[in-house]
Amino acid sequence: MDSPAQPVGDALGLEEMQALPVFGDCPPELLDDHVGAVLRRTFRPGEIVCREGESGSTAFLLLEGEAEIYLTSPVAHLENVYNPRGLLGAITTFLQAPVRRTSTDASARRRIPIDAPAELSQDSPTTTLRAGDLFGEMTGLSGYPRSATVRAQTDVEALELRRGVLDLLKRRSRAFQAQIERNYKARALASHLRGVPIFLGLSDAFIDGLRERVELVRYEPGQVICTQGEDTAKLYVIRIGFVKVNRAHGDGEVILRYLHRGESFGEMGLLGAGRCRTTCTALDHVEVGEVRREDFDRLIDAFPAIRAELEGMAREHTERTAPVGSGMDEFLVQGLMDAQDLLLIDLDRCTRCDECVRACAASHEGVTRLIRDGLRYDRYLMPTSCRACHDPLCMIGCPVGALRRTDSLEVLIEDWCIGCGLCVANCPYGHLNLHGSGEDGRAVAGPPPKAIRCDLCAELKESPCAYACPHEAVLRVDLRTVAVGVR
Amino acid sequence: MRIDRGHFRWFLFSTGLLVVACVTYALYARGAPGGPTGGSAMGLTFGIAGTAFMLFAALLGVRKKRPHYRVGRAATWLKGHLWLGALSFPLVFFHAGFEFGGPLAKVLMWLFILVFLTGLFGLALQQILPRFMTQNLPQEVVYEQIDHVRRALLEEADLLVTGATRRNPGVSRPKSDGAIQGRVVESRAVPAVQDGSDRAPLVRFLDKHLKFYFQPRGPAESPLADPNGRQVLFEELRSDVDPRLHGVVADLEAYCVQRGQLEAQRRLHHWLHGWLLIHVPLSWTVIFLTAVHAVMSLYY
Repeated sequence: MDSPAQPVGDALGLEEMQALPVFGDCPPELLDDHVGAVLRRTFRPGEIVCREGESGSTAFLLLEGEAEIYLTSPVAHLENVYNPRGLLGAITTFLQAPVRRTSTDASARRRIPIDAPAELSQDSPTTTLRAGDLFGEMTGLSGYPRSATVRAQTDVEALELRRGVLDLLKRRSRAFQAQIERNYKARALASHLRGVPIFLGLSDAFIDGLRERVELVRYEPGQVICTQGEDTAKLYVIRIGFVKVNRAHGDGEVILRYLHRGESFGEMGLLGAGRCRTTCTALDHVEVGEVRREDFDRLIDAFPAIRAELEGMAREHTERTAPVGSGMDEFLVQGLMDAQDLLLIDLDRCTRCDECVRACAASHEGVTRLIRDGLRYDRYLMPTSCRACHDPLCMIGCPVGALRRTDSLEVLIEDWCIGCGLCVANCPYGHLNLHGSGEDGRAVAGPPPKAIRCDLCAELKESPCAYACPHEAVLRVDLRTVAVGVR
Repeated sequence: MRIDRGHFRWFLFSTGLLVVACVTYALYARGAPGGPTGGSAMGLTFGIAGTAFMLFAALLGVRKKRPHYRVGRAATWLKGHLWLGALSFPLVFFHAGFEFGGPLAKVLMWLFILVFLTGLFGLALQQILPRFMTQNLPQEVVYEQIDHVRRALLEEADLLVTGATRRNPGVSRPKSDGAIQGRVVESRAVPAVQDGSDRAPLVRFLDKHLKFYFQPRGPAESPLADPNGRQVLFEELRSDVDPRLHGVVADLEAYCVQRGQLEAQRRLHHWLHGWLLIHVPLSWTVIFLTAVHAVMSLYY
């Protein structure tokens, strides 16, 4: 049972800090500046250390005991919920159930990235933190909301670190860095490496060998990690932070995606498959695990069968993610990304009866995602549906990495969204909403809020709004076919 | 619903049925000794078929109550409503042998004609008004938000003229102002700049004309509702104010234009949907009276 934690802890003095191994190699004069910035906190079993979605500015370093880290928000899809009850319910379910598209998204992730040394499974989003584990690092460094709830399982003693002292430890304490690296390699790196597209399905022995060759490197906000056209010859796996990936396009640039913890880039460089095709920049305090090509080559010599397999996958990946042609410029200028479904309302046919809005609400637990307002282009209205902007600002800062782009550049919200609302605030077009929140955006009674976006019901062959429009005014245009033609 | 090529199959089907019904009725009428009657076998057949089509047409309302049910596209239902509903009209007349009969049948027939005519009227409006609105009301908003936007525009005008610091939070909403690149427009109005210019004419104009025009009854009585009158008033205002304030005057004029569009939208919306207030209750009345008519005819 949850119970409130102690409101404050004991601030450590200089001697107390020096007595701790993690501060051992920090110069005393620097530590002296941070007296009072480290609190020793104790928690009884069952006490909550921090809650998901809360704002904060500190990280926790577990000194003793064990704590459970988990998501309280249900990992669930905010789609139609069919609860057949009896014969009538079964008939209703049959009548409501639409034909669904089959998902072909190869980039789907299986693990939930959180701001802790471990990752969570989608099936059972909980794991245990032990002495030496650091959690809330991104909250402490960059002020992101807490990504998960932590509850003491035994008597727990932890240090609560403010940003300054956390930064100092990361810069000056080799013991601290070594501990972070050790924990990361042991508990999360293998999962991250398995998320690299070309490593899917490779043997555990190969992944283990690769894991030993990873070196953690820090990047400051704004620092360029790799530049388009350069021969990077490295694989990068993000441990913390957000990385902007953009590509030169005409006179400007197109932001392809924002990568977060657990995602990777540069894998083609490992195989010598040409120069870096994108520029990757640290958006905040970023730490990446790097694998150099020389190390990779030495490893792959021990696995000759894998080289041919990797090269085949690299070729396929290159073809699949080939840059779009210049014919797409018009779409980009209009803020409409390639590979999108686009919802249009033909205003010459539309009688403004709002049947589409009612159908949307009826299909989404009473909350409409469709607002019959938006941009006009000739006689077509583009209602407020997610356009998967070329700069998807909504993706920045999600504490659990629940927003991601698919291979087709569509933006998806994963089921493990904790409803912190950061993406809603970041979306410049107001196309994201918090389901289950009041008019002012604050949570209301009921299930925990989750971010929703009008995704045009992409998984359905025909969206409820188009299906329910009596005037055939609602059109879902598949721009993917246009994009393929242009390519 | 727009009548276009998408209706071709329905047109063929309905026309075919109508031809068959006409030929059958002609043969039946010629062969019937006392002339065609509703109580004859053929007359009953026409009556049952006409009633079935009427019932199907009425089911559209039920279908709309469950817009997310996968029981056929709403557009298909509406096409069926239009074509089969129209077909029920001659069938009912064939049933009655073009006689209006007793008092109940007479009432029923007149109501049915009214239903048919209001339906035709609504269909005609749907061919014209949506396109008219699209072309003439570029600043159209969601109908339910008209009053909100009206108040918000007045707040903005006030802000622009008097520099009042209060803000209507409702103004701050994501909205495009027509450009293809959407952007967040918190408010188009910036607080009045204290540049030393004399704002008294602006304030007088706001108090005398704008505030009234933005009231619900404003468009009916304000001279700003008439484009010519509006132009004259704004020209006078321009000549009265410092040239540095001409930008503010242009913004106020734009607000008035939008106010006029909102009112036109409201009016057209009422036309576009108002006919349903007659058509739907009359339809259900006809269904009810048809049931009464059937029971009474069979009983007596």
